[in-house]
Amino acid sequence: MNRATVALVVHSLRRIRPVVIGISVVLAAFQFLLTQVAAYLMRTQAFGMLASLVPEFVRSLAGPSMLAFMSFAGVVSLGYFHPIVLISLLGLTIAIATEPAAEIESRFVDLTLSRPIARAHVVARTIAVLVVCGLIVLGAMSAGTWIGLACCTPANAPRPSAAIIRSLALNLALIAWCWGGIALALAAAAKRRATASGLAGITVLASYLLDYLGRVWDPARRLSEISPFHYFEPMSLVTGAGLSAPNVATLVAAGLVGTAASFIIFSRRDL
Amino acid sequence: MAIRLEHLGKRYGRLPALHDVSLHVEAGEVFGFLGVNGAGKTTTIRILLDLVRPTTGRAWIFDRDCQKQGREVRADIGYLPGEPGFYGDMTGAATLDLLGRLSRQRVDPAWRRTILDRLELASADLQRRIREYSTGMKRKLGIVQALQADPPLLVLDEPTEGLDPLMQEAFYDLLGEIRRRGRTVFMSSHVLPEVERVCDRIGLLRGGELVLLSTVTEVRGLAGRRVRITFADDVPAPAVWPPSCEAIAVAPRLWDLSIRGPLGPIVSLLAALPVVDVDVQMPHLEEILRNYYASEAR
Repeated sequence: MNRATVALVVHSLRRIRPVVIGISVVLAAFQFLLTQVAAYLMRTQAFGMLASLVPEFVRSLAGPSMLAFMSFAGVVSLGYFHPIVLISLLGLTIAIATEPAAEIESRFVDLTLSRPIARAHVVARTIAVLVVCGLIVLGAMSAGTWIGLACCTPANAPRPSAAIIRSLALNLALIAWCWGGIALALAAAAKRRATASGLAGITVLASYLLDYLGRVWDPARRLSEISPFHYFEPMSLVTGAGLSAPNVATLVAAGLVGTAASFIIFSRRDL
Repeated sequence: MAIRLEHLGKRYGRLPALHDVSLHVEAGEVFGFLGVNGAGKTTTIRILLDLVRPTTGRAWIFDRDCQKQGREVRADIGYLPGEPGFYGDMTGAATLDLLGRLSRQRVDPAWRRTILDRLELASADLQRRIREYSTGMKRKLGIVQALQADPPLLVLDEPTEGLDPLMQEAFYDLLGEIRRRGRTVFMSSHVLPEVERVCDRIGLLRGGELVLLSTVTEVRGLAGRRVRITFADDVPAPAVWPPSCEAIAVAPRLWDLSIRGPLGPIVSLLAALPVVDVDVQMPHLEEILRNYYASEAR
């Protein structure tokens, strides 16, 4: 990365800084509070009661992951796959990934790319910002969990292992990477940020719903394999199963295809 | 040679924006690129900067291909866009610093200060957010960011648009200094008196085609000088006017003529007549080019 690209990365990080800090603080606080919720449920011996309230057919439909969720570790892990957390993280990812389209729309790109900067550096800058911001948010979330577990939960609480928390955070990072690549490819082709982010948002929503249908309705199961969320299985991680290599490979590959496409599209288009 | 365009063409879908444009600009020259809105000036400039890819033809800057060696080419260019896309929430100083860091040449603070002083952009102004700037201040900031790295070639798209007359004067002075430093300037403009004043040569685009490429002096020669002769007594008009002389209005004591070429024949004709006053007006570029624009409108 040359001096100009570093300058662009720093510039973009400065611009997105308030949002990244805000989301990091809120999600870290949420993770911390979830450890307190888990501690409260444990102290009031509510986990067994919660499990008994779930009808048998629901339990059999959801499998062992349902019981895993109704445990101390399950509640602590909830923040790593809660839909609102997913929406926040993917929203931030799309906002960052569509920066090239925003710069074309505002004509800021005329000022940067009229200087000795390759178009690939603009895409590389966006990827670097995505990675840095993803690390900051996930780091803050992990810190929230760690602080909550370390300082404010009963000593005998069955804490989730560090490996489980790491794999949950990595799982979240992988789904964000995948959608970051897709949103970046859309942004590389778009003239307006609203177009790119709108398309990316609709695709995320459609994919999420398709995956949901695939999980509860057999006829949609095959089709749901095209959804990136099909390869996002946090509940199995809570039960202690490690990250599935095919799932990881699929999400990484989807992100890579998106970023590769964005390099190609952005380098060939008229700005 | 600073700029060379050969058979440059650009289509946006089915819409032709530029057709077979060939020209060159010598190093150290101030070249005016003229044309009405949509004539293809900005498209040409964007091809030079590799922001837009040509459909046909090629462009070189300092003998380097603008598309194949774009980064090297752009290291030598300072560009003022027609509408600079500054971030409103950034200060002027932060914007200049960022854009300075993106240039290959280090920005000399003394030279930047000189430009800022000439354009009367105070330090306090630079500490304000750009959203608080007037149109003229944004234009000045645009000029400073283009000039601050002191590149060998300046590409300026409508540089005085939005500047008040005093600032236009300051800009012309600055342009004079840039020319003395041996820099090349390629500027598009609508303002013909400005072009006439600062440019060595002009190119006129009409409907995406280059219809005129000439020095300002040569262009002036395309039109006749206006000569108004006042007589002390009534004088009959001659049966035959001297060559290259065209009568616009003839009255007993006033002849209004347009003369292309030397004034000798008309002076000889006047020698025996009771002349009170001869007023010779040089043709204005504006009048000449207006004819080209008018023919486009037709």
